[in-house]
Amino acid sequence: MNRVQNTKLVLWLITGLAAAVGLYRFIYGLGVTTNLTDVTPWGFWIGFDVMAGVALAGGGFVITAIFYMMKKDEFHHLVKPAVLTAFLGYLAVIFGLMFDLGLPWNIWHMMIFWNPHSPLFEVGWCVMLYTTVLLLEFSPVALEKFESYAKIRNFLMRFRFVFVLLGIMLSTLHQSSLGSLFLIMPFRLHPLWYSNILPIMFFVSAIALGLMMVSFESHVSHWLYRRKPETKLVAKLGKAAIWVLGIYFLVKMIDIVISGEFAMIFDGSWESGLFIAEILISIIIPMVIFSTPHLRIKTGWQTLGSFLVIFGMIFNRINVGGFTMLRATGDSYIPAWTEITISFGVVSVVALVFLFVIEKFNIWQTSPENPEALPFTRPSFDYSSRVWLGTPGVASVTKYSLAFMLTFAIGVAVLPGRQLEGKGIEKIRAEKARGEAILFVDGNRDGYGVSFNHQAHIDSLGYRDSCTVCHHMNVPLDKNSGCQECHKYMYSESNVFNHDWHSSKIGADIVCGTCHLNGEVRSKQTAKKCLECHTDMLTKPDEISLENLIAVSYTDAMHIQCVSCHNEKAASVPDKQGLAECASCHETVPPEHLNELLKWYDQTPSYNRVILPLEKSDKKNEKSL
Amino acid sequence: MSKAILTDITKCIGCLKCVSACKKENKLESDVPRIWQKNDGLSAENWTSIIKKPDNHYIRKQCRHCLEPACVEVCPVGALHKTETGAVVYDKNKCLGCRYCMMACPYGIPRYDWDEPVPYVRKCILCYDRLKNNQQPACTEICPEQATIFGERDELIKLAHQRIKDNPDKYIDKVWGEFEVGGTSVLYLSDIDLGCLSYQTKLGTKPLPQTTAPAMKSVPYAFVGMGGAMLGLNWIIRRRNTLGKTEEEKKEPTDE
Repeated sequence: MNRVQNTKLVLWLITGLAAAVGLYRFIYGLGVTTNLTDVTPWGFWIGFDVMAGVALAGGGFVITAIFYMMKKDEFHHLVKPAVLTAFLGYLAVIFGLMFDLGLPWNIWHMMIFWNPHSPLFEVGWCVMLYTTVLLLEFSPVALEKFESYAKIRNFLMRFRFVFVLLGIMLSTLHQSSLGSLFLIMPFRLHPLWYSNILPIMFFVSAIALGLMMVSFESHVSHWLYRRKPETKLVAKLGKAAIWVLGIYFLVKMIDIVISGEFAMIFDGSWESGLFIAEILISIIIPMVIFSTPHLRIKTGWQTLGSFLVIFGMIFNRINVGGFTMLRATGDSYIPAWTEITISFGVVSVVALVFLFVIEKFNIWQTSPENPEALPFTRPSFDYSSRVWLGTPGVASVTKYSLAFMLTFAIGVAVLPGRQLEGKGIEKIRAEKARGEAILFVDGNRDGYGVSFNHQAHIDSLGYRDSCTVCHHMNVPLDKNSGCQECHKYMYSESNVFNHDWHSSKIGADIVCGTCHLNGEVRSKQTAKKCLECHTDMLTKPDEISLENLIAVSYTDAMHIQCVSCHNEKAASVPDKQGLAECASCHETVPPEHLNELLKWYDQTPSYNRVILPLEKSDKKNEKSL
Repeated sequence: MSKAILTDITKCIGCLKCVSACKKENKLESDVPRIWQKNDGLSAENWTSIIKKPDNHYIRKQCRHCLEPACVEVCPVGALHKTETGAVVYDKNKCLGCRYCMMACPYGIPRYDWDEPVPYVRKCILCYDRLKNNQQPACTEICPEQATIFGERDELIKLAHQRIKDNPDKYIDKVWGEFEVGGTSVLYLSDIDLGCLSYQTKLGTKPLPQTTAPAMKSVPYAFVGMGGAMLGLNWIIRRRNTLGKTEEEKKEPTDE
C-alpha cells in the first residue's frame, strides 16, 4: 500500500510549496510573483487551471450522458468517480481562479452586476450553476453513510434525471463558451488557432477529452489501489473516442482549408511546428492506438492513448489561451516557477480530496482498503531521528504534516529574494553625466535630462571649496567621484559596500578579523566603520551616514541633492523663488545645443522615459473614477 | 453628443505637456520602468504617452474610446461602459480583476496595477469628470500647438477631411479611427503609418463585439437544443428497450 502513501506524500510536498507561494502572491500582488505583463495579462493560470481544468472536468457530463441518457448500463461503475472528478475539477477551477483574479473577493459580483454580452459572464454563471448541480448529483453518494439524512437523499435521488439533464445542458454551454472567449481577439490569436467556430471545436474536443479523462483516471486510481483495471469498459470508451476525435479533426481541417490557412501548417514557423505536434499528440496517435484492435484492449496502451489526448488537449487550451498570441503581441512570456507551482498545488489539493473521498465513501463497488488502518501493522520507526512514529495511521499524518511544513518553509525561504529586487523595477544602470562646463545629467540616456551648469554652480557656491557641497563621498582612491559610482541604478537602490571583494583573495584580501573584531557576532552593525581605514572617503562625515551602506536610486539622489538645496535658496534669496519649481532644471524639450548628444536617442526604448508628475498626488485611491 | 479627440501627428512637437497635464488631472503618481510594461510608455500611472518615431514624428498614444468597445463588451460585470459623451469609463467597485478587457482591446490600452495587492485596471477615461462639467480634457486644453483638439466627433471628422483636402501632399488620405473596428472617438491625422498603435496593422472596419455576438446569441438555442436532443435520444432508447422487452407479449406501445 506504499503507492498510495508515497503519492500522498508527494502531493503534500507540492501543496506546502504552493501554499507559501500563494501567500506571497496575496501579499505582494501579481507583478513580482508571476511573469504576467501588460500585454500578456492572461498566462499559465488561465490556460491550465481554467481552460484545461474545465475541459478535464468534462468527463462528468460525458459519462452521465452515456449512462442516463443513452442507457448504457455497463458504465455504471464509472459514473460515480466521473461525477466526483467533475465536481472536484470545477472546485479546482474556482479555487485556481482565486489566485489569478486581481480582486478574488469580488468574484460574487457576477451574480449582481450583469453583462449578458460577455462570454465570460456566461461561462461564470454556467460554472456556478453546474458546480451546484454536480453537488446535488453527488451528494446522495455522500449522504449514503448517514441514515438520518435518508429523506434528503431520497428527495435528491428522485430528481437525479433532471440534475443530469441540466448538467449536460450547462456543460454544452460553457465548454463551448470557453472558445467564445477568444473570438474577440482575432488580432492577437494566431490564424491557425483562431476560427469563427472556436466554440464548436472546444465543445467537440471536450467530449473526446471527457471520455479519455474517465479512462485515464479509472486506470490510474485502480493502479494506485492495486485493483483490477476496467479494461473492457475503457476499450468501449476508446472506440467512441475515435469517432469524436475524427469529427474534431475533420471540423478543424475543413475550417482551416475554408479560411485559406492550409499552407500555414507547413510554412516552417514555430507555430506551424506547434500545430502539427498538437494535432499528432491530441488526435492522430490516439486514433491510431484506439483503432488498432489488439492495442485497444491492452491496459497499457489505453493509458498511453488517453494520456496523449489529455496532454494534447491541455496543450491546445494553453496554445489558444495565450501561447500563440506571442507573435502578435511581441511579448516573450514564459510562466514563472511560482505560477506553475500554484497551478500544481491546486491540482494536488484536489487530488488529495479525491483520494480522501475514494477511501471514505462508496465511490467504487467495494471501497479500497484504507492503507492507514491495516489492523496488524507494526508501528513505524524513523531511523534518522530514532523515534517511534506510531501506527501507520498516526505515522502518515506526521509524515504528511512534516512534508507540508518542509516545503512551505523552503518556499518562504526562497521567495523573498525575488521580492527584494524591488517592485518589478527594472535595473537600469545610471550613466555618467556628460560635458565639461555644462553637464548633461541624464542617467538613463533617454534625452530627457537636465543640463546642469557646472561652472555656474562652482562660481556661485564658492569656487574650489564648494565641491563637497555636492560631492559628499568619494570612492576610495578617487577624488570628486561622480554620482553614478554609488547611485548605480536609475530607480533602485544599490549596495555601496562590496563585502565579497574585500574578503576575496583577488580583491582586497583582508582577513575577517580586520573588520569583525573578536568576541562579537559578525554583522554589519558590529564591524569596524569604513572610515577607520578609508580616512578620506567622506567629505561630509557628519551629514552622511554609512550605517546601512545602501545608496538610494540615481533619480532619488539627484532630487534629494538638488531639490533640497534649491528649496533652501528659494526661501532665503530674494528673486530666486523660481528655483523651487521643476522647470528650473527640467526643460520639457531638450535644448538645441544638446542635439548632437542625442544621436543614440532613436535607439533607446521609450519605456525608459519617465515623466515626473507636476505635483505629488496625495491619495492613490482617487486615481480612477 | 458624442465627443472626440483629433490628434494631428504632423503638428505635434513632442513637448509632453499633455502627458504632464494628464498626470496632474488624474492624480497619477510618478512611475519608473517596470518589468511588466510594454515598450510604449503607457502604464498604470501613464494614461497617455508620446512615442517618438524617426524624422521628428511624435505619436500620442491613449485609449481610443471605440464607438463599440471590445472591453465593454467582454467585461463580465459591466465595470467598463461607454458613456453618452463618448468616454469609456471604469467602475473599480464592480471590477473583479479578470483582465479580459486587457486581452480584448485591439490597441492593448488597459493597464494593470501589477505591484498592488489590491489591483485595478487603469486607462484614459477622457477626463470624464471634466466632460460632465462641460470642460475639455486636460490634454487637449494644454496642447500649445493645437495638435490634439477636442470637439464633436462629426465635426472633427469633417475638419480632418478638410485638412487632407487642403494639403493633399502632406497627409496620408485617411482619418485613423473613422471606420476601423467600427470607429473610435480618438482620431488621428498623419503623414506616416500608424499601424504601431495596434497589435496588427490592418484592423478592418468590423466592430469587435460582432465577433462574439453570433456565439452569444446562439447560447439559448444551444441550451434548449441540447436538452431537447438528450430527451429525444433518451425517449428513443427507452422506447426501443421497452419494445424489445415486450415484443413477445405483443402489447400496444404506450405513449410517453
